[in-house]
Amino acid sequence: MNPKENKYTKEHEWICFEGGDKGKAGLTDYAQTQLGDLVYLDLPEPGVAVEQSKKMAEIESVKAVADFFAPASGEVLEVNQSAIDDPALVNQDPYGGGWLVKLELSNASELDALMDSDQYDKFVAELEAEAEEEKSE
Amino acid sequence: MSLLKKTPLNKVHHDLKAKMMDFAGWELPVWYTSILEEHQTVRSGAGIFDVSDMGRIWVSGKNAGTFLDRMLTKPARQLEIDTAQLCLLCLENGGILDDLLVHRVGTSRYLIVWNAANIKQKLDWLFRWSGSDPDVVIEDKSSNTVMVAVQGPDVQQLENLRSVSHLPRFGHAQTKIGELNVFVARTGYTGEDGFEIISDAANALPLWESFVEWGVKPCGLGARDVLRLEAGMMLCGQDIDTDTNPFEAGLGWLVDLEKGDFIGKSALLEIKRRGIKRKLIGFQMKDREIARSGYAIFHSGQEVGKVTSGGHAPTLGVNIGLGYVPVELAVIGTDIEIIIRNKPVAAQIVNKRFYKRGV
Repeated sequence: MNPKENKYTKEHEWICFEGGDKGKAGLTDYAQTQLGDLVYLDLPEPGVAVEQSKKMAEIESVKAVADFFAPASGEVLEVNQSAIDDPALVNQDPYGGGWLVKLELSNASELDALMDSDQYDKFVAELEAEAEEEKSE
Repeated sequence: MSLLKKTPLNKVHHDLKAKMMDFAGWELPVWYTSILEEHQTVRSGAGIFDVSDMGRIWVSGKNAGTFLDRMLTKPARQLEIDTAQLCLLCLENGGILDDLLVHRVGTSRYLIVWNAANIKQKLDWLFRWSGSDPDVVIEDKSSNTVMVAVQGPDVQQLENLRSVSHLPRFGHAQTKIGELNVFVARTGYTGEDGFEIISDAANALPLWESFVEWGVKPCGLGARDVLRLEAGMMLCGQDIDTDTNPFEAGLGWLVDLEKGDFIGKSALLEIKRRGIKRKLIGFQMKDREIARSGYAIFHSGQEVGKVTSGGHAPTLGVNIGLGYVPVELAVIGTDIEIIIRNKPVAAQIVNKRFYKRGV
């Protein structure tokens, strides 16, 4: 379900290499499911410097405002204008047309510390199991 | 570990894999499939909500009418049997404890339907004033009954509501849906036509299914909140509370100062005489940013109030909100700013009945 070529954070961001030291990032499918219908994206301007694990954007669903943390350090190269215009794209295609930002990575080795897709699948499965357990109590 | 209260339909929500949340101490669904889908269904079709979190309080006995006249801001005894009215339960200082519906079920029998918030405080308040009068009997039947709201333009065509399709707005009947004994009122909190139905908790599942099998879509709290905000309806505990009075909330029409003495009357007369200082207004964002409850409202570089409700209005395709501003600014067309992510964002005061259904 979660693409093999991506790396994942515990805050439910994904990132993949886009040639050399560039990366493309977005929100995971699990995150978009939890947030529900997205209606507004507050993404940084190109040129802004971001730091891994620090908040870099806000994602708003009908119900809530969520923070988006930089999955890696670097500089914002591009934001997805189509997703800004129609945030439902992130719900429909979080790993494809619903990507959020492209970054010029300042330290590509940061990605080594992130989860791979198998680890993230397992991480999400555990979260879901916990939620199930809470329900049955 | 969960200490949340569960409605008689709790299992249904889990079986439908609804996203659940804590609402005033109740575990309730926020959405089943999508807030936007569920909202659209109620605007154009028919949806069903579990509203069992709302309190259902029966007040009966020889003095029930006089008691309610003393507690509520509108005269209960003038209400015709089988009809209901909206009114307020106020504190002695005029602060709003709740907005509620009071149904007159019989000569000396009434049903109060009120919000989930502060149930204990409200019940204590009723018991405190009823004192030891044996002719006022207050029964909280919230936990042994179920309540659903069936809302949307298509309710008129539903087979199992045919026997109540004649009911006027705020009218009610005690009737049957299939084999189930139900209390049905033509009321709701969505800005659409609809019914609210109360039955024994044991009937919860067959009642719910009798609608779902006719294609009525389960809808959650998320849609309920968007629908009521679009219709300019206030949420008690958020837009109105014990620190707000009916006049500043624009609810003066729910207060009858001509009727006999009631709790809060002298304070409300005084507030009316002195005039209000702030007023609840509706506003529309000029761009795509979303105002949320708690955000500051600015005018001419100064903070003038706070947003009490805010969000996306799918029917209108804009973002809207409610909030209090000084009364001199509370004029339709006034430009204001909402502080979002530390930046002032342009908005304009508009009529707070953002959405009005067509006739």
